[in-house]
Amino acid sequence: MRILVIEDDAATADYIARGLAQEGHTAEVARTGKDGLFLALSENFDVIVTDRMLPAPDGLTIVRALRASCVMTPVLMLTALGDVDRRVEGLDAGADDYLAKPFAFSEMYARIRALSRRPAATGAASTELIVGTLRMDLLRRVVTRSGTIVDLLPTEWRLLEYMMRHPGHVLTRTMLLEQVWDFAFDPTTNVVDVHVSRLRRKLDGPDGPTLIRTVRGAGYILDA
Amino acid sequence: MPEVPRFDGLRRLLRSFALRTSLGIAAAALLLSLIGAGWGWIRAETALYQELDLLLAGEAEGLIRDYQAIGPEALLDAARVSVRRDALLLILVQTADGQTLAGRIDTAPAALRGYATLRGSGEPPLRALGALLPGGINLVVAAPIAAVEDAARALAWTPLVAACGAGIVALLLGFVGARALERRLASVSDVAGLLTAGDLSRRLPQSGRRDEFDRLVMTVNAMLAKLEMLVTAQRQVTDDIAHDLRGPLQRLRQGLEEALADRTDDPALTVAISELDAVLETFSALLRIARAEAGAVTRRSLDLSALVTSVAEAYGPVADETDRPFTTDIAPGLTIDGDPALLGRMLANLLDNALSHGAGAISVSLQAGPVLTVADEGPGVPMAERDAVLKRFVRLDRSRASPGTGLGLALVKAAAQAHGGSVTLGSAWPDGRGLAVTVDWRVAA
Repeated sequence: MRILVIEDDAATADYIARGLAQEGHTAEVARTGKDGLFLALSENFDVIVTDRMLPAPDGLTIVRALRASCVMTPVLMLTALGDVDRRVEGLDAGADDYLAKPFAFSEMYARIRALSRRPAATGAASTELIVGTLRMDLLRRVVTRSGTIVDLLPTEWRLLEYMMRHPGHVLTRTMLLEQVWDFAFDPTTNVVDVHVSRLRRKLDGPDGPTLIRTVRGAGYILDA
Repeated sequence: MPEVPRFDGLRRLLRSFALRTSLGIAAAALLLSLIGAGWGWIRAETALYQELDLLLAGEAEGLIRDYQAIGPEALLDAARVSVRRDALLLILVQTADGQTLAGRIDTAPAALRGYATLRGSGEPPLRALGALLPGGINLVVAAPIAAVEDAARALAWTPLVAACGAGIVALLLGFVGARALERRLASVSDVAGLLTAGDLSRRLPQSGRRDEFDRLVMTVNAMLAKLEMLVTAQRQVTDDIAHDLRGPLQRLRQGLEEALADRTDDPALTVAISELDAVLETFSALLRIARAEAGAVTRRSLDLSALVTSVAEAYGPVADETDRPFTTDIAPGLTIDGDPALLGRMLANLLDNALSHGAGAISVSLQAGPVLTVADEGPGVPMAERDAVLKRFVRLDRSRASPGTGLGLALVKAAAQAHGGSVTLGSAWPDGRGLAVTVDWRVAA
């Protein structure tokens, strides 16, 4: 993947770039909003990571300018400002995801991976999701594993659908809370773990191998 | 502002200060006029009677002079004339023992001496003066007193009618004044409502009349400007801290993470990162509380019932896993203007507390008001500590060992208040067992 990182803090920019390089991706770093916007408009990237507070233009302005120029590259916005509670503002401006500093690299990387596989906005939506032996029929609302129907509650359905749309990617607890439950906050209680283990029990049955793996310290992964 | 029902408006108007004042003035005017009218009546009647008596005495004196000059014929003629026509003065001439010689006064007693008021059926009331003249003749002169009584009544009624008029005018002016005052204060209380809701840029409207209201409004506006400045400064400090500290903390975390990537087996690094994350969590919670307390929350109309339902549904299986019965009673369709993230976090904190510090069954209830209650069957919070645990970093002795920042309930309180509500800690049962935390958004009437 080719990723554009717009970040004025040198240490943070280096850290992101090094981390991405270690994972086998190319990171282009821009240290000002002006350079970042120029690069974003003139070259092709899979994902853009931009800080929100930048020497002018700031992150929100950059995203708005990109969307106005029909550049639909997924944007992950980083912020030191306040809270995840401010994410609505960033998403409204056209960013695809929002992450508050300080963050763990694994959290940011998981989000970049999830963004890179976003289906194009114009692409025809498939009516069936298939991951390994799992099939989810979105029209008939039926999930089968190796042909056996699995009964799911609405929350479990949403959880599995999100996981099946991002197979082979680490999905963090925060991402699941935001995407599946629409919660912009982290409960202290292990809400996500409980729901995932319930879903896992239904999918795996008494003997089958585990489809949803736990990645220690990061999140969950549905193996492709 | 919701439309105030007409009846409510009238009831509120009747409680208004201006109307009560004008009602008082009207009542006082009526009472004073009643006293004045009664007193005037008595005074006027007395004076008019005295006048009438003098008149009668004068007439009698004239007749007596005629009698002395001309003889009894003068009296008899005068008496006959007084009967013939509808004379103002009635004259009766009698013998000393009361036999009528000429004239006619039906209600006159035999041989009246001195003044008397004569009343009888079929005759208008009369004031009479009788005197025994030398030569055995008894003379009675009389005049109708209706005129006197009419005049006295008229004199008394005039102030009474004026007072009634004044009372009605006072009442009308009172209503008008009360409505005007009501409208003026309504604009003030509308703005005050917005201010309470967190819009500190609002100012109370001035009428431009430079009256005592305008002076009060100016003073209050100056106070509000000061308040806004302080809150803005506090918010700015909060944002500055957020920005200035998060950068270094981010780099610290990055350094630790990179060190951990090189030495994955170093337990000290893992501990350092998790300690740092705990510090960051406390830091974020403090910022969130500060923002909520400063009223810096996004506000949009949201379905509170749906929000409570989705948070409760997320927690249901968690309670289930630990064999804690979990029940919900959520009235549908309740809305609130507010910040979904902050309200969601508030409920999540209450449920986190119920799961980690409470015991037994957990219940979530949302009723019209809206009133949100989260209750459990645990040991609860002693009465004396209920106010204290809503403060920052205050934890009960028995929960110190369990993880937590000590900021959960402080955030609940700040979030509730930022949305115009209040938080109370109570017992789930009348005997004091269990804990029920209630967030109440009903505006105190």
